[in-house]
Amino acid sequence: MNALSPTSAVASRALSLPLIAAGLLLFLIIIASLLYGAGPISASEAFMVLAGSGSEEARFVVSELRLPRTIIGLVTGLALGLAGALLQSMTRNPLAEPGLLGVSAGSGFAVALAILFGASTATLTSFVAQLGALAGCALVIAATRVQGLGNDPVRLILAGATLTGLLLALTSMLMLMDQRAADEIRFWITGSIAGKPLSMLQATLPSILAALILIVIVARPLAAMALGEKAAVGLGHHPGRIRFLIVLTVALLVGSATALAGPLIFVGLVVPFIARAFAGPDIRKTLWLCVPVGPAVVLAADVVSRLIAAPAELPLGVVTALIGAPVLLAIVRAGRMPSL
Amino acid sequence: MPDKRTTLANSSLLVLLLLAVITSLSMGTVQVPPPDVLQALMGNADPMTAFVVNELRLSRVVAGLLSGAALAMAGCLMQTLARNRLATPGIIGIDNAATAFAVASVVGVGLSLAPSAMALAGAACATAIAFGLAGANGTRGYRFIVAGIGIGAIAGAVTQVMLSRVAIDAANAAYPWTVGSLNARSGNSVLVLAIGLAAGYAILMLISRALNTLQFSDAVAIALGTRLKATRILGLALSVLLTGLAVSVCGPVGLIALLAPELARTICRPGKVPLTASALAGATFMVAADLLGRTLFSPLEIPVGIITAIVGSPYLLWILLKPSRRSLT
Repeated sequence: MNALSPTSAVASRALSLPLIAAGLLLFLIIIASLLYGAGPISASEAFMVLAGSGSEEARFVVSELRLPRTIIGLVTGLALGLAGALLQSMTRNPLAEPGLLGVSAGSGFAVALAILFGASTATLTSFVAQLGALAGCALVIAATRVQGLGNDPVRLILAGATLTGLLLALTSMLMLMDQRAADEIRFWITGSIAGKPLSMLQATLPSILAALILIVIVARPLAAMALGEKAAVGLGHHPGRIRFLIVLTVALLVGSATALAGPLIFVGLVVPFIARAFAGPDIRKTLWLCVPVGPAVVLAADVVSRLIAAPAELPLGVVTALIGAPVLLAIVRAGRMPSL
Repeated sequence: MPDKRTTLANSSLLVLLLLAVITSLSMGTVQVPPPDVLQALMGNADPMTAFVVNELRLSRVVAGLLSGAALAMAGCLMQTLARNRLATPGIIGIDNAATAFAVASVVGVGLSLAPSAMALAGAACATAIAFGLAGANGTRGYRFIVAGIGIGAIAGAVTQVMLSRVAIDAANAAYPWTVGSLNARSGNSVLVLAIGLAAGYAILMLISRALNTLQFSDAVAIALGTRLKATRILGLALSVLLTGLAVSVCGPVGLIALLAPELARTICRPGKVPLTASALAGATFMVAADLLGRTLFSPLEIPVGIITAIVGSPYLLWILLKPSRRSLT
């Protein structure tokens, strides 16, 4: 049985419209990402390349620089959006976001350590990033199990912010220790999808595929858990096992995304927020909608980061923070937290 | 009248602070034995020692002392106003906003007095926005804090934008603000901070009775004759002033505003707002943290903001994760 299949025809109709709209939007943003850049290649020149002609230089820029960047942005957005939706649904906390909770920072610190010790192969870095994300996730879960904290979204977020601050300070220490490593870490830690090798993508692809399969497995039990732990047990699910699988999935997704793009804050908050607004409380629909929305958000932010300061570029992490923080404020401003 | 326990606490903190100051003056790349430090401070030491102690180290220690005291007092004040010990300027994003504005002035204008004024403006803006977003609850309630986290994130991003857009020299000049360090202090900023701290402390002592009543419910405070609104606004303005001036000297050194009042409250008599003890504890923390940063991996210097983050974060985590019936937010 396909766990992700909508339960009724009504539900599928309700979801299909936003899904198509988001897909179209994503398509437009992909085109924009290929057409617009900070460099001297104009949009019309880039369009010629897409149409099959164009100058040598334009062809190089579009196919060697912008295309890999766009693909990496797609994968990063997909991973972070899904990870945010899963984490929020599991902790029942609309503010639970991998970046805010310190999962990304854990991953980032692990990679900084690896770089300091001389790791440079893409495989090793993505594996290390996933290990770090797993450790960060484990801390978050441990924190939510602490009595009372699970019901207090803000305290959890503050704990995450503190953990992030601590890990950032430790990373800065590492950077002071070794100048060569510092340059490499600084390049990577601001969060950017520019100039990343496609080999990194190959290294993370297996984990992302594994995570997608895991999502298909856990989606249905997770929806049952939204009814309450007892109801989920009554329906024949094992909440402990499901929670473990979700933690594993989130770690795989966030680790891969961090290895690809560096720690990007707020993407995992914005994407599920948008998706939930259209898909309603059902986590399965939200997850479906996150598939086009996640890449669209990251790519849109990336296009903005190229255009806003042209001919220079802003780090992508800065743009996502500028977009995401107001969303955080909006969620809090909404008064009562949307119940999950 | 200060009671016995408070006097005892304050004097022991003062002794600790003096110890930290003298150790900080004596240690470094050139070791000066503590007796010589005292001699140099009195003005009768050999020129070499006098130069190291009075010219190189003293200004740094004074800057640390003043900024630590200011941050801690601002933290203590804001915690009292919000009736929430997590409501410190760092967590509410005031630090980051002040930093963003100070960086803007270093990167853009470059006047020597400008960072103080700009940091103040930034601190005031952040507080105003956090207030506006917090809605009717004012500083009480969790919205204020989450709004602050958001504002802090935006201000941090803006700082990065500015640093990435300017020439590398200007970026390097502004960099210390972003992590919190005593390296980039300018004499003017320290002077302004000293004046602001003295004025702020005097005013706080005058309204300390009213501040003490803020710990009770509003009705009780009013019954005791406190003008609630005026006290709140004045207190908030003072904590913004102290934070802004301190940030213009040392950058966003986190967690001192949380840890120092925490310590002060533990050792002072309950029921009073331990402003003096907080200031002394904050100054001690800052001087000690800077000493650690300078000497731990010498000749490598670790910015003081990194030290306080590494030492302070585990404690904050412990506060947050500790199961307790007392609501924090």
